[in-house]
Amino acid sequence: MPSRSSEWVKPVTSQLPASKIIEIGRVSQVFQTSARKDHLALSDISLAIEEGAFVSILGPSGCGKSTLLYIVGGFVSPTSGAAKMKGQTITGPGPDRGPVFQEFALFPWKTVLGNVMYGPRQQGVRATEAEAQSRALIEMVGLKGYENFYPKELSGGMKQRVALARTLAYHPEVLLMDEPFGALDAHTRTRLQNDLLNIWERDRKTVLFVTHSVDEAVFLSDKVVMMSKSPGRIRQVIDIDLPRPRRRNELLLDPRYQKYVVDIERMFDEVDESGSAL
Amino acid sequence: MTSPAALARRAAPVFACIGLLAMWQVASLALKNDSFPTALEALRAIPDILGDKEALINILASLRRMAMGFGVAVLVSIPLGLLMGRSRAVAAFFNPLLMVIYPVPKAALMPIIMLWLGVGDITKTLVIFLGVSLPVIYHSFEGAKAVEEKMMWSGAAMGLSSLQRLVRIVLPAALPEILTGCRTGLVLALITMITSEMIARQSGAGNILFNALDMGQYDTVFAMIIIVGAMGICLDAIFERVRARLVRWSEPQFDIPLSFS
Repeated sequence: MPSRSSEWVKPVTSQLPASKIIEIGRVSQVFQTSARKDHLALSDISLAIEEGAFVSILGPSGCGKSTLLYIVGGFVSPTSGAAKMKGQTITGPGPDRGPVFQEFALFPWKTVLGNVMYGPRQQGVRATEAEAQSRALIEMVGLKGYENFYPKELSGGMKQRVALARTLAYHPEVLLMDEPFGALDAHTRTRLQNDLLNIWERDRKTVLFVTHSVDEAVFLSDKVVMMSKSPGRIRQVIDIDLPRPRRRNELLLDPRYQKYVVDIERMFDEVDESGSAL
Repeated sequence: MTSPAALARRAAPVFACIGLLAMWQVASLALKNDSFPTALEALRAIPDILGDKEALINILASLRRMAMGFGVAVLVSIPLGLLMGRSRAVAAFFNPLLMVIYPVPKAALMPIIMLWLGVGDITKTLVIFLGVSLPVIYHSFEGAKAVEEKMMWSGAAMGLSSLQRLVRIVLPAALPEILTGCRTGLVLALITMITSEMIARQSGAGNILFNALDMGQYDTVFAMIIIVGAMGICLDAIFERVRARLVRWSEPQFDIPLSFS
C-alpha cells in the first residue's frame, strides 16, 4: 500500500486538477551565510497539496522544511520558482494562510481573549461578535476559564492552544503549522496532537504541518512529504492510508500504522546520514 | 504583609534618610564651616523658599520647560527609535549622527544655542529635549530590534500593514524597554534643566540656587539641592507607578524574595 517510489513527486508543469489548493512549483531558496558562501536551503521543490488534506513535511533539521512553509506563508520569497494559492502566486502573507509557530508568538500584552480576538477584529468583525466567537474557540481548545490570563501566566502547552485558537479565529483556508509541538514535553505533545486531530476532523481544513517526528507525522497526516538535507529536496511522498477518525490507542496497535512508522524511520535515517556525510 | 521583616523593609528607606541627615548634621557641626550649614538649617530654609511667590514661579517655570522638553523628546524619539529598530536603512542613516551627538554633554552645546536662539525658554527647552532624546531613542531602538519576527509574521497573516504592525505590534512589544529609556530620560531632564539654568542665568530653580550661592546664603543653596532632589525622587516614583501599570503583562509573576525570613 505505501508507495515507496517517487511517483508522488509530480512536477507542477503537468496540469493540475482544481482541487489543488497549494501548488509549489520548482522552488529553490539560497541563503547567503557569509560574504562569499551561499547555502542552498531548498533545491527545485515541486509539490501540490489537495484541499482538505493534512500534509506533513518531515525531515532532519536543516533540510529547509520550515523555509518551505514560510514560502507558502508568504513570509519568505523564494530565490526561484513560485508557490501558488488557489492559482494565485503568493507574494506576501494573508489571512487565507494562518501560521502556528513553535515559538507561539502570542502578543504578550494581550490576554488570551485579546489574542484570539485580534484577527477577527482586524478583519472588521464587530467586537461583540468577535468576542462570542473567540470565547467559543477558547473553549474548544480547552482553555475555558483562562480568558483573562496573560500569556506569561500560561504553560507552553496552553500557549500553543491559544496560538491555535488565535489562528483559527480568522478562518484561514490553510493552516501552516511550524513544528507547533516541538517545544513541548512528551505528554503535553501527545495531548495536543489528539486535540488537534479532533478539531481538524470536524472541519477538515487544509493543513501543512512541519515536523521532525515520524510518529507525529504518521499519526496526523494523509500524506507525508519526506525531505532530505543539503540541499533540501523532496525524497519521497508517502500516502498514509489509515482510517479516520483516528484514535491513538487503536492506532498504536494497528500493524499498518507500525509499518508506516518503521518504514519512514528507516528512510529518515538514510536521508539524515547521507545529508551529514555531504 | 505586616510581618516584622516586611515592616523593616518598608522602614529601611526612612532610616537611611534619617541616617544621612544625622551624618550631615554631625559633619557640619564638627567642621564649623560657613559654607556648610547643618542639616537642620537647610531644612529650615525650605519653607521660606516654598512660601516665596517669586521662588515658586521660578520653580514652576523650570518644571514647565522640563515637561515641554521631555514631552516633545518622547514624542519624537519613540517613533524614530522604533523605525530605526525595524528598518536597516533608517538605522544606517541615523546611527552615525547619534553616535556623534551621544558623548557630547548637551550643556556644552548651550553657548552655541544661546548665540542663535537667545537665553530664553526655547534654548533651555531645546537642551532638555536633546538630553532626553538619546536614551529614549536608544531604548526604543533596542526594544524594536528585539521584537520576535514570528510575532510580526502572525500580525502580517492577520492582514496588518507594515505601519499597523509598527504601531500595534512593535510599539506595545517594545514598551517595557521604551519606558526604561523614558525613566532615564526623566532624570536626565531634571539634570539638564538645572544645568541649563546654571548657564543661562535668568529664571528657574537653578537660578535661585546660584543666586543664593553668589550671595553666600548657603542654607538656601542646600535647601534648593534638597528641593530639586525631592522633585526628582517624586517624579521618578510617579513615573515608576505609571510604568508598572502599563507593562504589568511583562513583569515577572512573583517577586524574588529578598530576605530569607
